Amino acid sequence: MITILLRRVAAAVTLGVCAALPALGQADPIKFGKIDERDLTGANFVADSAAEAVILCDFGRSRFEVGESGMKIVFERVTRIKILKKSGYDWATVQVPLYKKNSDAEKLTSLRGYTYNLVNNQVVKDKLETSAVFTEQASENTLIRKFTLPNVREGSVLEYSYTITSDFVFNFQDWQFQNAIPTRWSEYRAAIPEYLDYKMVMQGYEPLAVQERDETTGQYTIRWGRTQATQVNQEAHSAGSTAITARVTNHRWAMKDVPGLRSEPFMTTVRDYVSRIDFELAGTKWPDEPYKNVLNSWEKINDILLNDDDFGVQLKRGGFLKEQTTALVAKYPDVPQRIAAVHDLVRKSVKYNGTDRYYASGPLRRAYDQHSGSAGDVNLLLIALLRDAGIPANPVLLSTRDHGMINENFPLISKFNYVVAHIALPDDKEMLVDATEQLIPCGMLPERCLSGAGRLILPDAGQSRWVNLQPSQRFLEYRQIQLVLDDKGGYTGKIHQEHGGYAALQSREKLQKNGEKKFVEEIVSSHEGWSIPKFAFKEREVLTKPLALDYEFSSPGADTPVGTIYFSPMRQFSGDKNPFRHEERRFPVDFGAQTDETVMMTITLPAGYQAEELPKPAIVDLPDNGGRFSYTVVDNGQGTLQIASRMSLRKPIYMAEEYAYLREFYNRMLAKQAEQIVLKKKS
Amino acid sequence: MSRPLLTVAAVLLVQSGIVSAATAGAVPHYAVADLPAALRENAHAVVRYEEQTLVVKSVSRTVETNRHAVTILDEAGADWATQLVYYDQLNTVSYLRGTVYDAAGKVIRQLRAADVRDFSLSDGFSLASDGRGRAADMRQANYPYTVEYEYEVVSTNPLFYSSWYAQPKEQLAVEKSTFRVVTPTNLPLRYKEQHLPSGASVVHTAEGGMEIYEWQVQNLAAVEEEHDAPPVAELTPAVFTAPTEFEVQGHHGTLNSWQTLGQWNYDLNAGRDELPAAMKARIASLVQGETDERARIRKVYEFLQANTRYISIQLGIGGWQTFPASSVAANGYGDCKALTNYCKALLQAADVKAYCALVRADEPDIRTDFPSSQFNHVILCVPLTKAAKADTVWLECTSQTNQFNYMGSFTGNRHALLLTPAGGKLVRTPRYGVAENRRERRADVYLDAQGNATATVRTLRTGLEQDNFNALFHSLAPAEQKKRVADILPLANFSITKFSLAPGAPTGLPTMVENLGLALPNFAPPSGRRVFLSANLLSRWSSLPAAVGERQADIWLDNAFTHSDTIRIHVPAGMKPESLPAPVKLTTAFGTYSSQVLALPDGTLQYVRQLRMPLTHFSRTEYAAYVEFRRKISAADKAPVVFVKTDS
Repeated sequence: MITILLRRVAAAVTLGVCAALPALGQADPIKFGKIDERDLTGANFVADSAAEAVILCDFGRSRFEVGESGMKIVFERVTRIKILKKSGYDWATVQVPLYKKNSDAEKLTSLRGYTYNLVNNQVVKDKLETSAVFTEQASENTLIRKFTLPNVREGSVLEYSYTITSDFVFNFQDWQFQNAIPTRWSEYRAAIPEYLDYKMVMQGYEPLAVQERDETTGQYTIRWGRTQATQVNQEAHSAGSTAITARVTNHRWAMKDVPGLRSEPFMTTVRDYVSRIDFELAGTKWPDEPYKNVLNSWEKINDILLNDDDFGVQLKRGGFLKEQTTALVAKYPDVPQRIAAVHDLVRKSVKYNGTDRYYASGPLRRAYDQHSGSAGDVNLLLIALLRDAGIPANPVLLSTRDHGMINENFPLISKFNYVVAHIALPDDKEMLVDATEQLIPCGMLPERCLSGAGRLILPDAGQSRWVNLQPSQRFLEYRQIQLVLDDKGGYTGKIHQEHGGYAALQSREKLQKNGEKKFVEEIVSSHEGWSIPKFAFKEREVLTKPLALDYEFSSPGADTPVGTIYFSPMRQFSGDKNPFRHEERRFPVDFGAQTDETVMMTITLPAGYQAEELPKPAIVDLPDNGGRFSYTVVDNGQGTLQIASRMSLRKPIYMAEEYAYLREFYNRMLAKQAEQIVLKKKS
Repeated sequence: MSRPLLTVAAVLLVQSGIVSAATAGAVPHYAVADLPAALRENAHAVVRYEEQTLVVKSVSRTVETNRHAVTILDEAGADWATQLVYYDQLNTVSYLRGTVYDAAGKVIRQLRAADVRDFSLSDGFSLASDGRGRAADMRQANYPYTVEYEYEVVSTNPLFYSSWYAQPKEQLAVEKSTFRVVTPTNLPLRYKEQHLPSGASVVHTAEGGMEIYEWQVQNLAAVEEEHDAPPVAELTPAVFTAPTEFEVQGHHGTLNSWQTLGQWNYDLNAGRDELPAAMKARIASLVQGETDERARIRKVYEFLQANTRYISIQLGIGGWQTFPASSVAANGYGDCKALTNYCKALLQAADVKAYCALVRADEPDIRTDFPSSQFNHVILCVPLTKAAKADTVWLECTSQTNQFNYMGSFTGNRHALLLTPAGGKLVRTPRYGVAENRRERRADVYLDAQGNATATVRTLRTGLEQDNFNALFHSLAPAEQKKRVADILPLANFSITKFSLAPGAPTGLPTMVENLGLALPNFAPPSGRRVFLSANLLSRWSSLPAAVGERQADIWLDNAFTHSDTIRIHVPAGMKPESLPAPVKLTTAFGTYSSQVLALPDGTLQYVRQLRMPLTHFSRTEYAAYVEFRRKISAADKAPVVFVKTDS
């Protein structure tokens, strides 16, 4: 009976009634309403003088309750914040998102809050009134409860507490120890009965001050109402209640003095760096039943996905385009051409609507008919059609850069938000294909997908594996320049430039957005005094080739000939600012792909002039073969100079320890490229 | 940071439209082949037709309908394939329908109810807002294609009538666009036309007690935005409308002048400035003994700043009617109406008379010749009664950090509608011009024999020049301030070795002082015997691209300003200047510029640069001259100083 109830609970969770509370041996780090009055003065906050506010204590507890119709998670939180500056006032406004689906919901109760101020050396407290609590229906399934505390001033201490009761036992409340402002103490406790087995994933760059667990027994009171058997597999029973005893594991984690965390350039997402713990239900062990995996291996995830109506099942539903795929097979016996043709068909049939998901929003046919769909719709259709065209294609699940990285040690399906196609080619070669972008050639992934590794889902679960997402394409820039200097210091020239790989994508996107004229105008405006009388783009539409631009340029010199010409030839054709302006960095620099920039320049000197001073050749290497900059100037003695400048960054990601080298690498390169040549009129 | 209110109004103006739709007989086709080539030129999308209609049902109810079809030519025009319809407690959406057609004009699909997303348009800073949107997305993978939308919004907030922007954005061509207003004869329409092509002005007819106004434009080729120009919507055909009489949730008003609009606002908020007795007493004691009027106001303003904060709550009529002063007294927060009303009440308790004033903050100024509700914010105006000559104090009540009597770029340099018991009165907010907006920089640069340099830089900014730095100072910790300053420093390689940013000595105007210590590796690397150095250091002004084709729009610059730089350059022994840039002095209609490098007797160089830009609006015919002015400045700013080593 009990087993049935409990299980029912976990299967179709709804309302429930209360239960025993397992106690952990530790005293609570905070008691609501009992503030330390010394926190109202500034003395305790000298070290935090730069912060706008400090979280004094953030304390959360999650436990289970069992009731009539199900098991629930009860999450209680108490947070205390010291406001130090006016810019920290926003911390007095709190938003709590609450999720609901069908009849299951998260509910917020027991909301309390106070603001404490020191007025004439007296503690004055103001209560959070219900008139300051609002509810906003953010989307169909998400409500946001918002509240703001009264009479907040510099120096105020704020405190609030609330309880969230959740029907979603699969979504155990996660906990974030780190915030944008410093946190003095952040503690989370979880009391988990033996019936439920959660995977716990800890991440971040800050150490735990406390990590302990003990076991107690907890009493769960189960009450039920009378039920009639309405379905074959249901049992009728009368109302009643019983108490059961279960082993409960009490976890406790805490962090002390956690620094604030803010976003920096070349990061994936702050969520990848913040200190937090996440939970995922791995299995259940009901009384008198064997342990049952809910999600506990990559193999199992493989099978679940393949049997899912919105995933594996859809991969077999490409038949509605049989006519077209059959035609493509006949037209393109060559496999690479056929792959490209299917890619083209999908790209031009379904517009990616910007939503990232790994599963389909419904039948693929619907997305096709509407010509619009999520990443899941687009790429599952791609895989289905590739298969129908006789190409061995399979899905690769991944998590986009702004969604956060995947921990391969924890088989958690919820960490993915995207899918692309994997194609096995002869000779053990393989390719990854995405059809969401109009400007990306077949075989290249959008930048958002460049995030470590993806999981290849194969019909045989035992063969499924990780696939490296690091692209072979680079940020590739190539310039070939013929420049003719005149005796007034002015010049004219021709340039052939190519943008390849991810640089091609960026350039094509800009070109699409701005058009050719504005694209060229932007070049003109970034070069002092330039005019561009002629230009021509090539390979705009041939995505597999670099986007090429040929143009002529000229820049006037002085009014009269000058005896000595100072000319900084690379100034117009290289970056002018080190992208790494900050002295330090705690996190990796994640470019996503490698970089390669080459400039080859031939300078024709004005008649009668010769080079008096030329920059010396230079090579700058990054440690560990991580990159190289090389620069040479050669005077051929025939009135022309040859300059070759090349920079390559061979890693898509540089660790925080390499940051100083990377910054210095750019420093030296920019300094070298800024050097001048000096030309003198031959006497 | 001060923040705006009344956000609802602005959104509504853009989103409104409407009609008798859905009754067009035959299924329309919008074959792309029918499109005149001239309309495709330079366009990402073409409006095939638009019919926007406003029907005034009564003094308290309007119905707006909009039908339009847009052909999307390429990806950059894809936004036109989406539609957002705004609604809230006072506006309801009757329907939103859509159809998408392929290039041949064949229906691809119809929009289904399930495809329409409904979501909160909460602005991100409001604690509560009833603004919501219905959104449809019919973007397609194959170009070109045509989307057609029709929707209707019923409004019980006729304070705002529709605006019709026939061609609101660049690179959008218009085949045909129509605007109709139908109003009962006893509720006459007021309107203002902008840039209508000849023959497009109003056709006014009357029928059965209804007045019908109609405007139509056809075949507008796509336009492109230009540098330093007004937004495209200010340069293309538009019609603005307003009621003569309206009623919002039982609050009746007339609108035929600024006076009457102000009267309605004043009356709506009258009596809401009553303070609790304890607060009155507190203010009385705060200003007790202070006889100077300005000092009394300052004390009250500082009290407000220390004890309140901005929290936006925008619900229904609450978008226009303030929370009572007693509510702010109890909770310590409010939106711009509530905080301004509260400050007015506090001043009253200090025996100072003040007036709330509506403004359009952070956007172009209102159209002063067309009295209508064009505002999004409220500030407080305090005329000094005891001053020798007329003087006024202006207070931004939503900011806890603004300097007393300073409006900044948010609400300065524009018009405001003063709300007095006798109605509204249009006045000017403070002007910040060339004398107020100053940046004064002094730097010492120390170069070593290897070409590395260090520098100390002190930059003083006043008026509008300091706005961003003031916000930076108040919103971020010093380490973050330093990062932001580093991000905008126009140097190739540097480290900031010393950093401070702080308000300067108090004067009538806010001032920020920034002190930097810089390490500049390879600042001026020796090239053989010579060293090249940019004396300008941090104040280079870029040139502009030459105009392609004829300049269409007048020149609009942001603000008047004065910049001055004095840089001392200290070079190591064994180096002497070989060539110094020639002095440059430019005197033009746009402004004056001078720069000069002098070798001083002590062996240092002194670079002095002055740039004064007193005006902000110029005729389009002067664009070429302006480009030339900027080119000369840019060239002068970059002129290098050349040193030669004397010991080799």
